[in-house]
Amino acid sequence: MSAGLMSVSVRKIGAYALFCCDCAVSTLQHGVRWNRVMEEGHKLGVKAFPVLAVMAVFVGTNLAIQGFTAFRQLGAGSLLGMFVALAGVREVCPILAATMIAAKGGTEMTAQLAVMNTKEQIDALEVMAVDPRAELVAPSVFAIMLVLPALTIIAVAFSIGAAYLVAVHQLHVGSGDFLYHCLGNFRIYDLWVGLLKACVFGIVIASVSGYFGFHSERGPAGVGRSTNQAVVAMCVVCVSLNFLLSAIAYG
Amino acid sequence: MSSLSSAFSFRWLRSLGVASCLLGEVGGALLRRSVPLREVTTHAATLCGRCFIPVNITIFPFGAVMGLQGMQILDLFSAHRLVSTLLAQFVIQELGPVLAAVLVAAQGGSSFAAELGTMRIKDEISATEVMAVDPIAWHVAPRLLAMALVVPLLVVIANFFGILGSYTVAVGLYDQAHGVFMAHLYENVGSLDVLLSALKGLCFGVLIGLIAVWKGFTASGGAEGVGRAVNDTVVQAVMFILVFNYLLSSLFFGGGT
Repeated sequence: MSAGLMSVSVRKIGAYALFCCDCAVSTLQHGVRWNRVMEEGHKLGVKAFPVLAVMAVFVGTNLAIQGFTAFRQLGAGSLLGMFVALAGVREVCPILAATMIAAKGGTEMTAQLAVMNTKEQIDALEVMAVDPRAELVAPSVFAIMLVLPALTIIAVAFSIGAAYLVAVHQLHVGSGDFLYHCLGNFRIYDLWVGLLKACVFGIVIASVSGYFGFHSERGPAGVGRSTNQAVVAMCVVCVSLNFLLSAIAYG
Repeated sequence: MSSLSSAFSFRWLRSLGVASCLLGEVGGALLRRSVPLREVTTHAATLCGRCFIPVNITIFPFGAVMGLQGMQILDLFSAHRLVSTLLAQFVIQELGPVLAAVLVAAQGGSSFAAELGTMRIKDEISATEVMAVDPIAWHVAPRLLAMALVVPLLVVIANFFGILGSYTVAVGLYDQAHGVFMAHLYENVGSLDVLLSALKGLCFGVLIGLIAVWKGFTASGGAEGVGRAVNDTVVQAVMFILVFNYLLSSLFFGGGT
């Protein structure tokens, strides 16, 4: 049973790697259509912005509450600002933005491609000598890769702002204390690492949705199943990669 | 512009009313004891099977990252021995409930909405009504109850795996003694914390279940409408989980005292 599961998952990873190579090769052959990239990126970013802002606000509030309960035990409640800056920029905001885009843009892309696969439109494209990977997958990869770092910065701004409000007005940390420790520990290196993470997550999200869309079973049930599997696969891969990147950058 | 915003708020109010009516009807069905227990257990079992592996496979690396960063922050105080306490609190109070709930919303909530939405657009729900079977008791209440049962369970298990992740990093990577980790864990984390964590899970479960059944039950407009209901379920469930998380955390742990 477990040997069978192993071989299936290894085969899937291999198929995914092959799919990525195919995409890269066809992108190199056909070039990137930047107007499609801009269009997709604009659509994704504008759609995701309000929801992401709300999420970032409430994640920031909880970072503040948790940081406060943790640091109070060390007798250093005023270091809350440092915790919010470090945790938010390094870990939470890139993951938050990635989850958001995975749940909204990623599922949409998978479903769209899977429906096209069901209706044999992808085969039709190939028959017309249009490379479906360069046409359908590559623009989304570039779009998500460009949009995700921007959304990460927005999430950072909103979550730190919300954390500041909660810290000062609910937890009664001094406003100067918070800002001093927050800005004092806000290193540009952390921001770069966060943005790099966001770029990597973007590539993963887009390529995984492309893979599951292209390899879905035909029919409505197949579309549903591949969309579901794609979200879980994205989450797992992003979180694991997050650990790896953190270990490399800070370990 | 003003008419747009008023229409928007009006729609919100109406949705809130529809959702609370649905909740009330489920409560009525429960009081009348007309909810079939077998349906509840079937849905709960399916939900567990769908969500168990994704939740735990995601929270493990998360706990590991927290271990990595926590070690660095505690370096400033040379208080490495406290890592297990702080991480366990963080995992139990925040990460476990929220992550489990978000993944259940993405996996289970979406499938519940899709099932109910499909039944709605195929007129199966109206058909049950015609046969004098209460669709609330047969289709809606069991899903809601299953959600409320399963999420707290998954939260507790997720807490275990999250702490295991930070244990791996702290003991395996940073050479902290096993005994030190465990001693600080047992000293500061009690069953009350786990209970509160499960309570958070229960609230999130009811929330996800309610949003999923409401979106599915009121779906309209063919296959596309079902797709929209599923998408809305996931996005709104995640958003409301985060909002309620803030309220619950303030209630349980925070509050400036």
